[in-house]
Amino acid sequence: MADSPPLRLAVVLPAYNEAGNLVEVLARLGRIPVDEIVVVDDMSSDATATVARAAGVTVLSMPFHFGAWTATQTGLRYAFRHGYDCVVTMDADGQHDPESIIALVEPIASGDAEVVIGACVSRASRQRRLVWRYLRWLSGLDIADLTSGFRAYSRRAIAVAASWPATSFDYQDVGLLLLLRRRGMRIIEREVAMSARRDGKSRIFSSWFQVARYVAFSSMHGWSKRADSRVPPRLPGTTRA
Amino acid sequence: MTGLNLLRVVLALLGLGIGFLMVYLVRRERLHGNYAAWWISVSTCVIVFGMFPRVIDWIGALLGVRYPPILLVVVALLLVLVKLLTNDLDRTRHKRKLRYLAQRIAILEHDLKRTRRD
Repeated sequence: MADSPPLRLAVVLPAYNEAGNLVEVLARLGRIPVDEIVVVDDMSSDATATVARAAGVTVLSMPFHFGAWTATQTGLRYAFRHGYDCVVTMDADGQHDPESIIALVEPIASGDAEVVIGACVSRASRQRRLVWRYLRWLSGLDIADLTSGFRAYSRRAIAVAASWPATSFDYQDVGLLLLLRRRGMRIIEREVAMSARRDGKSRIFSSWFQVARYVAFSSMHGWSKRADSRVPPRLPGTTRA
Repeated sequence: MTGLNLLRVVLALLGLGIGFLMVYLVRRERLHGNYAAWWISVSTCVIVFGMFPRVIDWIGALLGVRYPPILLVVVALLLVLVKLLTNDLDRTRHKRKLRYLAQRIAILEHDLKRTRRD
């Protein structure tokens, strides 16, 4: 059997005021064989965009600040438009190890999955684990690390994540994962190592109000669309009966 | 003029005032389509029920409502709730479109800069 052509791979990093972390993150990424690195500047007030441009990567500048998911989706839409076969999304705060990208991409390249989540359950606080447990119970999703932004998407999955219904999500977790399931995507997890954040502040769990907002929004998606978690995966090239 | 007749005249003038204001706003392109139709309907109802309050008594009797004026209050509240809901549905749609436009701008700006460089 002829070897299939190598995957065209892009890495997307949504970034909001990450000028301090970005230099090192991009330097480490530069050692990984990827076709394009895309930093989506979510209207940062610091030198995030300048630092990214100086590193020679693609920079997309959002005209307004919308949050991590909208910035990530912008990168996914860009990658889809430019014909990439696989996109890895990762945080720009140094938490995700670029060396783990190969482990995430392998199942996509072999056709075993459409979405691979880089999971690191051991990093989670008790508060976060409680939220995961609750959302798993509510939504029916059997995913250990629900909030990990370190993911690889196949082209089919990129099309779903970049689609119109995904535009109004505020987070990339329960709502997006249920949408991917509904469209028949195979979602698996791969254990990866994660470092502590440089500045120690979570975006989602930065305050009790943010936690409450996240739980409320995710609960609405989880409860209203829980049936989607039971949709069987659909292999590429097949249609649902 | 008795108190009741004065009230009728005031309500009729109020209704007419709202109606003329809506027509003015539509002419100046400040109020559009469905929203203008809603407010013109509101002004029509204010005129009709203000000038002919017996209509509420008649409708109340037809529906078996013991105290007909409360029917107007209940219906008005329900319509306000419906209006609030449709406003939020509109805003959700607009929010989605705004995000999509912002994303397209970011991508197109980058592609344009790249084309100019090449």
